[in-house]
Amino acid sequence: MENSRRISSSGRRSTQTAERTSKEYEGESRSKSENRKKNVRKKKSLLTVWFEGLKNTFNRLFSARGGMDMPFFFLILLLLVIGIAMMFSASYAYAYYNEGNSYHYLIRQAGFAAIGVVIMIVLSFFDYHQFHRFAVIIVGVAFVLLIVVLFMPDVNGVRRWINLGLFSFQASEVMKFAVILFYAHWASVYFDKMWKFSYGVAPALVVGGLSILLLFFEPHYSCMVIIVMLFAIMMWISGVRKRYFIGGIAFVVAAYMVLLVTDKLSYAMERLDGWGMALEENLSSDMQWTVWQTMNSLYAIGSGGLTGLGLGQSREKYLYLPEPQNDFVFAVVVEELGLIGGVIILVIFALLVVRGIMISLRANDKFGMFLGVGLVSQIGLQVVLNIFVITDTLPNTGISLPFFSYGGTSLLMLLAQMGIVLSISRNSNINKT
Amino acid sequence: MAKTGSSKSNKSNKIIISRSRTWLILLLGLGFGVAIGRLFYFSCIIGEELQQKAYSQQLNDTTISAKRGSIYDTTGKTLAQSATVWQVVLTPRNFKTNEQRTYASRRLAEIFNMDQGEIFKKTQGNTYYAVVKRRVETAEKNKVLKLCDELYKKFELENVINLLEDYKRYYPYGDFASTIIGFTGSDGAGLEGIEYQYDSYLKGVPGRLITATNARGTEMPFKYEQKVDAQDGNNIVLTIDEKIQHTMEKYLRQGIAEHKVANRAVAIMTEVKTGAVLGMAVENGYDLNDPFTVADEATQKVIDRLPVTEKETAESNALSKQWRNKAVSDTYYPGSVWKVITSCMGWSEGVINDQSTYTCTGYYVPFEGARAIGCHNRSGHGVQSYKQALCNSCNPAFMQIGQAVGAEQFWEYYQAFGFSEKTGIDLPGEQSDIFFGNGTGVMQPMDLAVASFGQNFAITPIQMVTAISAVGNGGKLMKPYIVKEITDSDGNVIEVRKPVEKRQVVSEAVTKKVIEAMEENSKTGSAKNSYVAGYRVAGKTGTSEKKVYNSDGSQQYIASFCGFAPANDPKVCMLVYFDTPLGDSYYGSSVAAPVFSNIMSEVLPYLNVEAEYTAEEIALMDTTADNYVGMSVAEAESKVSEGGFRAIVRGDGDKIISQVPTAKSRLPQKGTVVLYTDDESVSDDTVTVPDFKGLTVAGANDLASVYDLNISIVGSNAQGEGTAYSQDIKSGTKVQSGTVIAVNFEQDSNYGSGVM
Repeated sequence: MENSRRISSSGRRSTQTAERTSKEYEGESRSKSENRKKNVRKKKSLLTVWFEGLKNTFNRLFSARGGMDMPFFFLILLLLVIGIAMMFSASYAYAYYNEGNSYHYLIRQAGFAAIGVVIMIVLSFFDYHQFHRFAVIIVGVAFVLLIVVLFMPDVNGVRRWINLGLFSFQASEVMKFAVILFYAHWASVYFDKMWKFSYGVAPALVVGGLSILLLFFEPHYSCMVIIVMLFAIMMWISGVRKRYFIGGIAFVVAAYMVLLVTDKLSYAMERLDGWGMALEENLSSDMQWTVWQTMNSLYAIGSGGLTGLGLGQSREKYLYLPEPQNDFVFAVVVEELGLIGGVIILVIFALLVVRGIMISLRANDKFGMFLGVGLVSQIGLQVVLNIFVITDTLPNTGISLPFFSYGGTSLLMLLAQMGIVLSISRNSNINKT
Repeated sequence: MAKTGSSKSNKSNKIIISRSRTWLILLLGLGFGVAIGRLFYFSCIIGEELQQKAYSQQLNDTTISAKRGSIYDTTGKTLAQSATVWQVVLTPRNFKTNEQRTYASRRLAEIFNMDQGEIFKKTQGNTYYAVVKRRVETAEKNKVLKLCDELYKKFELENVINLLEDYKRYYPYGDFASTIIGFTGSDGAGLEGIEYQYDSYLKGVPGRLITATNARGTEMPFKYEQKVDAQDGNNIVLTIDEKIQHTMEKYLRQGIAEHKVANRAVAIMTEVKTGAVLGMAVENGYDLNDPFTVADEATQKVIDRLPVTEKETAESNALSKQWRNKAVSDTYYPGSVWKVITSCMGWSEGVINDQSTYTCTGYYVPFEGARAIGCHNRSGHGVQSYKQALCNSCNPAFMQIGQAVGAEQFWEYYQAFGFSEKTGIDLPGEQSDIFFGNGTGVMQPMDLAVASFGQNFAITPIQMVTAISAVGNGGKLMKPYIVKEITDSDGNVIEVRKPVEKRQVVSEAVTKKVIEAMEENSKTGSAKNSYVAGYRVAGKTGTSEKKVYNSDGSQQYIASFCGFAPANDPKVCMLVYFDTPLGDSYYGSSVAAPVFSNIMSEVLPYLNVEAEYTAEEIALMDTTADNYVGMSVAEAESKVSEGGFRAIVRGDGDKIISQVPTAKSRLPQKGTVVLYTDDESVSDDTVTVPDFKGLTVAGANDLASVYDLNISIVGSNAQGEGTAYSQDIKSGTKVQSGTVIAVNFEQDSNYGSGVM
């Protein structure tokens, strides 16, 4: 509470006032109700005292006025619970055979989720404006991490993880956040000049270009794609002229053509080769292996049908679908819960995105707007790209599903980012209009 | 930093808001829209197809074998059955020392009577699977189990000998009805006969144990299992009667040996009123328990002498020949048996009546300019009535009848009697007929002439017997069938085969006329040898040219006989057919008719057909001896004479201690009874059996009494005519005095049957 007030005081006055009024109001109502209760009952039990204390704390933390946006908060918790449950269902056979413990992934993911929720709530009290100051630093840190990761031992031919002993984390997760933060900061400061190439496009080209170059050496193509798209979204909402987008699309196509002729694309190419071929018969044994994961993903979706095989009843997760806890967790979700279950989850994701963008667009300043839209868009983007991958609509390049796919750092980053959106919601007009 | 409230800020926010909305619509509409669309496509549009593919990789399907159904004869005797047997398999890898190997191999060699060194070789090596013996029966299996215990106690050896369950097909009667029953291959599927024809009923439905496996092929710790029990096969109950079939086979084999038949023999017996096949013997048969061995030793010897390159072909040819069901798969010229059919045509068309006469001059010229076709009686039969013509099996008479019927009508009746179609009997490999005009039935005048006595067109034995049965059945053609009913594994009847009447071919009045002639034929005509004491037999002989020649240029023949009994109310009809007899005679009357007689004389009483003996027949009939043991010599002698027998007393004792023939056993009227009074006389008294061949009935009786033997006369007709051609105890054998020897007689075979 103290912390909260300190942040508020360094923020805008209006918030402080609102908070105070709400506090006074609460205090008033509480004393009234206490009085009434005193009249009815002479003595209050200890339990009642604790309960009311808890209620007060809750009200202070999540009050409608100046508090964070409750629909958004609960949508996150809902997705997190469903996500962990389904990740567990998808992973327990794989964990049993590979880790010797069915709960291997559940325990870790639940632990990270618990830490993540705490971080999210804490960050929701943190004034997001402070990130103005950290924007450049965080970009710098992200770049350092992207360089450090190149010196890490490679796993399956790629260098994406920095091993810190207890756990390892993906450097690119930080970069995605850094990109959004940096551009939100830049666009809100130089909003009036964003129509100029040097202000609207050049920084994106520099930061984006550098990060893509570094990711290229990992290599981590899917992250490159996401970073490009995140820049495109940030530029788009900050009013960069449309002609640059046309140029940008042309550039992406050209860049792709260039990569195509170099051998560095071989890893992705192998994956690309299998793109759209998952269900073809008479594939060579090499190709069968290449499309194995996608093919089994489609088998899982097909087995699920409209209503699914029932929770826990997936068969593809029994070592047919490799690493079902990661990118392909949603295929198991559809196998068990059917198309209906899958669509319900996608609708929850859509509601989260809509609510998140509503919050962001009602933020009191442009930095909040840009940052919020960027962070929420990243979730929507990853959901769509992930579904595209598991349905063989895009090549299998490794895009995780937020809240569902296993991964500690990614979950922590995700919940921290949601904390920032919640922080924005505290200063947003979302509940007042 | 942006300031709130200013109009400029509001305006710039509008850009952000509108562009964000564009982005949101793009993300939700295009991104989520396409994503859901793709999920819909894969889960609902092609979901089932994908699920099938998923199943095929996820489910491990183990087959549980079903027990094959049994085959029974009409009285419920088991002709084929499956039993559980075992396969003994070693796991050489699990042996540790040579001592263990030696011990195990020595004990296994003892159990299976095999070579120890061979088994010892199998115990070596690093494999998990070495078959010692397949199809091990329960007794041996128990010994192997004991050995496993020993190995464990002695060496603490485990899992070195394994027993795997297997099924084996047993045919309790061995080479009995082999071409009908058929056999199964190593995979348990029927390959021949009923085993093949009714495979789908017999084999049952294998069960399945479906377990979901993970991608490594092992069962998942989280169970998904579905068991479908094996459904044991259904049982087939045949119309075949084991007793009848055995009788038929016995006499066919006798006939084959007697007449040096080169190309096997067939006998088919049908129930006249239903078409049910009571017996279908194809001899020589083969052992169903060992079908892949050439049963005919002579053939095997020929094969053994062949060079290696030709051996395999020769062997497979020999096997397919021995498996071939001649009764339905071979076609032949029916010969004079066909005259029955021609008779039906003639009576039905009204070209024969009681006043019809046919002149035979020893040959006949069917039309002007044609070559003369001879009768088997070169001097001619003279003027004959229809009945006489049939009894004489006169070719010129039947050529005249055939011509009177006409080629078109001939073809009509041919079809009506079912010769142009398969009979549809439920046996595999039934052949079609071969008729003039490539199946159009168009006959040239010469074709009609020779066809009238059954030459130059080919039909199957089953067609012939079916058609003659129709004559016995008042003109109703029945569909022959061999399966009576089908029962499930618990013995419940699930399907009963009903007789199928195909059509009324000719009127009952017509058949009466023909049967009358056929009966006369069996009594006094060319079919005299088919006579069965006490029964009214109606039949017709046939001797057909095969148009295949021996190495010396002589014609090969098929000797056949087809008839039914009793003539007044036919119960059973039988065709007997010998392919290429190379002995003294090749005539249907002398080769096939006696066999018909022998079989019928056993089968008719068995079927409880009441015998009506004539006085002459009673005089020739065997009687039974009384018991004389324990009587004084004088008393016994007087009793023997009272019974009409001749008494011979041996030994010096006072009382009879033994007699030949024994009490209640058969002996001929006026036969000899030998009475023994002490032990020495019993052991000393032997005689050497003489050869009765070529003797008349009277001569044989005289010879028997000289040797103090009894003879039982078989095959002689009511008039006591006939010549002995075989006896059941060979000449030169030492037997006790008084022993009854069955002697077979045949009628004078001057009546050759109708060949051109």
